[in-house]
Amino acid sequence: MNDIAIVGYAQSPSWERAELTEVQFLFPVIADAIAAANIDRRDIGFTCAGSCDYLSGQTFAFVSNLEAVGAWPPISESHVEMDGAWAMYEAWIALQHGDIDVALAFGSGKSSPGDPAHIYPLQMDPYTLTPLGADPASLAALQARALLDSGRITEREMAEVAARNRKDAIGNPHAQVSGEVDVDALLATPYVTAPMRAHDLPPYSDGACAVIMATADKAREICENPVWIRGIDHRIEIHQPGMRDLRESPSTAAAGHGAGVGDGPVDIAELSVAYTHQEKILTDALGLGDGVKINPSGGPLTANPMMATGLSRIAEAARAIQRGDAKRAVAHATSGQPLQQNLVCVLEGDLR
Amino acid sequence: MAGANEPVEGAGAGEQPVVMMDYFMHLEYHEVVCPIVRRYAASLMEGKILGQFSPKSGLVYVPPRSYCPVSCEWLGEDNLIELEDRGVITAFTIVTPVQYYGQEETEPFAKASVLLDGPGGMLSLQDILEIPPDEVRIGMKVEAVWLPESERNTDEIGNRSWGSAAGAIVGWRPTGEPDLPAETFTDKVY
Repeated sequence: MNDIAIVGYAQSPSWERAELTEVQFLFPVIADAIAAANIDRRDIGFTCAGSCDYLSGQTFAFVSNLEAVGAWPPISESHVEMDGAWAMYEAWIALQHGDIDVALAFGSGKSSPGDPAHIYPLQMDPYTLTPLGADPASLAALQARALLDSGRITEREMAEVAARNRKDAIGNPHAQVSGEVDVDALLATPYVTAPMRAHDLPPYSDGACAVIMATADKAREICENPVWIRGIDHRIEIHQPGMRDLRESPSTAAAGHGAGVGDGPVDIAELSVAYTHQEKILTDALGLGDGVKINPSGGPLTANPMMATGLSRIAEAARAIQRGDAKRAVAHATSGQPLQQNLVCVLEGDLR
Repeated sequence: MAGANEPVEGAGAGEQPVVMMDYFMHLEYHEVVCPIVRRYAASLMEGKILGQFSPKSGLVYVPPRSYCPVSCEWLGEDNLIELEDRGVITAFTIVTPVQYYGQEETEPFAKASVLLDGPGGMLSLQDILEIPPDEVRIGMKVEAVWLPESERNTDEIGNRSWGSAAGAIVGWRPTGEPDLPAETFTDKVY
């Protein structure tokens, strides 16, 4: 594999309801990522976007998102109806071919116009689960119940995840939810859908994230502190949640193995923990011990721009490395319900 | 489609009959109209068409959209310009209505792209009034027919109605001026 590095990234704030259109709030994110990478827009050899037309309720919304990139004269680009982390994976593959040296990946979503509890069941099995209204919170609740019943976590530990994330999100300009909260106070609140209380569920945010990658020579030329992608892999499990052991995430474990998580010490991990109990499932699957700081940014429980949440994990992990908070970091993205498909990326700072 | 639980003969394998089911889906979206389009809608109420000019690309956007996708330039209040309510047809299509559910039209009608005079700006999917559809021509000069001020509304103006002036401009009627050469507009066929 050729060495590829992240040389620039940018994130929008996470809004509960953005006043701007998706293209409008994507526009400065792309421009900021390009500026951070110290390149010209025309240096980008390949662009890949991740978004979901169902969120905005507009066919071909992903095409208008390209207006934020600048697609005239024509550019080479692609789109995945997935989180931007998978767009980054496709762009990383494109860079492996060696015919281009800079690629842009971005993810964006505007959840606020629709109701995710109605939209997300449409991605499930259309005969049984969609008509049931199998929404993300309900499926996550089934998963949490299975995990609680196995004795591997408690509701208190779930609340502790929420409290720690919110505290860590203080000072993160991209977070939607932050602050100091008392775990006992959280546990005194009613269930939204048992065993999930409000703090166990993520906010739905409008927002975007963009990442620019470059091949090794180009990265060293344009960037003082490139963040190297040491491994990236993604795996998927069967579509029907009833046929999975929801307490485990073998696809995360396989992707983590493929990305080389265990090949060295991990300082921090940015994981797509959108539901508090999933932190336990993911850290176990990745073999991350107590010494690993999980979601120092606050994670998806504090900022959850759909279709950009996973790519934001990668951007936050890269930021932690560039800031000197970590030498080696793991970033994780998820797609489908609940934790059906998982992507793991291992990042390292420049070791020169 | 067969009704719910009605077996479909010959379609299944084994002894279980294949059954069909109806599943009716309903999704509702509520979107905030973005600031620049709110400004555009307010200008229509005053009988003005507001656009945005990109100095770098020289292009004019109507409605304004806050950015130029060609020059990748962010456009602000300073880039707002008032556009003409006269122009020329650069492209059109004649729609023969199919009577699907919700279709209110029964006779063929024309939808045209109108390139505005002066600084420019293109309004698409505009109704052409006062002439039968088969007389609509590329190069034909037209002028806006505004609703009286008291009858105007912005109900149909949203972030997605790029090019719409619905609720303020009923359509466009020929001015009777000589046509402009159609070949002038070969790059304006959208």
